[in-house]
Amino acid sequence: MRKALTLAAILVASTANIALAQGKLIAVSWKTFQEERWKHDEAAIKAVVEAAGDKYISTDAQNSAQKQAADIESLIAQKPDVILVVPFDSDAILPSIKAIQNAGIKSIAYDVQFEDPNSLYITYDNVGVGKLMAQTMLAKGKKSGNFAYVKGDKGDPNSAFLAMGFESVLKPEITAGKIKVVCDNNVDGWKPDNAQKVMEQCLTANNNKIDAVISENDGMASGVVAALAAQGLAGQVAVTGQDGDTAALNRVALGTQLVSVWKDSAVLGKRAGEAAVAMANGTPISKLKGVIKFADGKHHVSMPAILLTPDAITTANLEDPIKAGHVTKAEVCAGVAAGKVAACN
Amino acid sequence: MATEQSSKSATAKSEGLIRTFLKATELDVRILGMLGALLLVWCTFDVLSGLIQPNASIFSGLFLTPRNLWTLLVQTSSIAVMATGMVLVIVMRQIDLSVGSMLSMLAVAGAMVQVFMLGPWLGVGHPIIWVAGVATCLVLGTLVGVFNGVLTAYLQIPSFIVTLGGLIAYSGIAFLLASGVTIAPLDQTYDIIGGGVPQSWLGPMWSWVLGLAACALIVFGILSGRKQRRRFSFPLRPVWAEIVLASIGSAAVLLTTYVVNSYPWPFGLIKQYAQDHNVTIPVGDANSDGNAICMAGDQVVRCMDGLVYYTGYAVPVLIALMVGAVMTFVATRTKFGRYIYAIGGNPEAAELAGINTRMVTVKVFALMGFLAGLSAVISSARLDAATNALGQSNELYVIAATVIGGTSLAGGIGTVYGALLGALLMQSIQSGMQLLNLPAAFQNIVVGTVLVMAVFVDQLYRRRVK
Repeated sequence: MRKALTLAAILVASTANIALAQGKLIAVSWKTFQEERWKHDEAAIKAVVEAAGDKYISTDAQNSAQKQAADIESLIAQKPDVILVVPFDSDAILPSIKAIQNAGIKSIAYDVQFEDPNSLYITYDNVGVGKLMAQTMLAKGKKSGNFAYVKGDKGDPNSAFLAMGFESVLKPEITAGKIKVVCDNNVDGWKPDNAQKVMEQCLTANNNKIDAVISENDGMASGVVAALAAQGLAGQVAVTGQDGDTAALNRVALGTQLVSVWKDSAVLGKRAGEAAVAMANGTPISKLKGVIKFADGKHHVSMPAILLTPDAITTANLEDPIKAGHVTKAEVCAGVAAGKVAACN
Repeated sequence: MATEQSSKSATAKSEGLIRTFLKATELDVRILGMLGALLLVWCTFDVLSGLIQPNASIFSGLFLTPRNLWTLLVQTSSIAVMATGMVLVIVMRQIDLSVGSMLSMLAVAGAMVQVFMLGPWLGVGHPIIWVAGVATCLVLGTLVGVFNGVLTAYLQIPSFIVTLGGLIAYSGIAFLLASGVTIAPLDQTYDIIGGGVPQSWLGPMWSWVLGLAACALIVFGILSGRKQRRRFSFPLRPVWAEIVLASIGSAAVLLTTYVVNSYPWPFGLIKQYAQDHNVTIPVGDANSDGNAICMAGDQVVRCMDGLVYYTGYAVPVLIALMVGAVMTFVATRTKFGRYIYAIGGNPEAAELAGINTRMVTVKVFALMGFLAGLSAVISSARLDAATNALGQSNELYVIAATVIGGTSLAGGIGTVYGALLGALLMQSIQSGMQLLNLPAAFQNIVVGTVLVMAVFVDQLYRRRVK
């Protein structure tokens, strides 16, 4: 499946960028490879870069701010044209970004923001993901009743962005008294087994009177759904998630999860790869496709950004990730009764 | 001997009844302290959770309800299973920091065998699948344990380093095995081990049968212990103390059985079961407080007297209790167990006395690995999914449970039942705070504080005893 994805990305990329100058060096400093998704990102960036005839190098900071600083020093020493950085710590990375620019190298904040006016920030709109979850919940799930929030790790800025998004959409309904938030918890390390325990206690505390659960990602949604299933409530309580995990898309097909907001990493990687190649060839950031000014970060520094719109995957558009080669039909439709979901027919 | 003991207790009247009682029953004060702490924690959470209810009263608490206690037991089982092994590791003056990462790795491996390898080949639901899933976890776990043990015992690398390396490396393997994807859903029979499906609930009848069997086992244990002591002319406990011990033990078992037997199946599941098995639902009046289901017209509703099932013990809890019993037996009644304590007490002396300390070390780590495999089965079955995030940082909770349970990091001292109680105490604190909807950060602070306090109190006690 992954090979097919890479191949597809190469095909797309090679037709788009055939005429560009060659021999540039594009570097990426990853914060970690301990999550499934970064592999997709890397494959997509690498495909675009190599199709343009440029060279790709990378380092993995293994979730350490110190290691990432050292990584970036060693990358600078190899004199690349552009460095993409997925910062582990958005503030601690700033001296390294300064060093990159002092060496005459261009920098891109990839998916996780660091606030530097001279860098490009490219990501899916995380506040938008939160909004999309809540909007889908109101449109296709539950419009009123008892809601539970299962938020991600308290130290992760994305968790706060997501909450900012869904809370802004749900606020009018809460003020109107239609929705009552009965549980609101952060889950250490976004761990599914912790989310399961959180949900079990929430159900106990409310005597099972829960109508909807806003879970910030699919991993935690798996724990939430397991807790609901043990009370015979799976499928009756609307649950959100994000990431487009295979198991989550299967839950969407089975009806135990309402929505998985899907940020196609392959698209993000492709757009970032294209931006990096263009910047390496001397295109100024402001001339890139889709660049806007973004100042909603922690310190409200205004910087150029490309914000991609995510997809809310429900039973209505389950075929999108299948068509994109992200998952197979067999994986998504495992155990789904015939004729229930259009994408599985 | 018995008369000597009782004459002693007669003279000890001035020391107070409690002291006499403790001496005669040979109960460990620290265990009593822990039970007291557990009771205090439970009551506090019960009262607090009652106060935040809409119609607050002293009896509206949520903690001491059959439902919450039942969930608490299921939530504790995975950590409890590993804690029983960690006791032996720590008693032997070693440590195993890799159990959490091992759990992730084994759970992912077991899930891959089920979902990616055997599922497509044999067809989903084939009985071999769940057996293979469990076997993969247990066998691989034991092998990884042997590996840790050999590095520690024969290559003389400190176990702290061996397992710290394991903590880092095994989590990497867990990720690489399935390149980080969540594997779900798992085999349905396999899920029974997790306790989340009705098939894994024993029901009242079998729960009572098991409860009574456990009582019989307690009585038998006490009788055989008495026989054993007589054989080696050890001092005997006075008969009244034996009776008190047997009654306390049996009462605890029966009370627990009563509690788990009072937790009704959730409404949706009774309805589902009735529909699937063509059980007639009696007609009755709707009552939103009821635990049973009735037919009111053509609607299935909650009611007081109608169709109802009770859960009884859940499979993971039974596994944890049985592991506890077996491990207690291993630790206290077998040669292997005595060797472990001897090595922990004084490794050089044990070696000189002819104990093959290296072999014992390997066996203890192998046992730890086996138990990590068992926990991997329980937690992945409970979640009905396996991911590399499952079990991460569990080693901290396992070690904390063991230490809270009175196991000394200096080696030689520690009990399996203490570790089980430690695990229960820690999960109680976490679940209780969750029930009060307190933030995760606050929970971490409290659990950390409890750990340090527990060891401090333990030290104080030991110094006084000396």
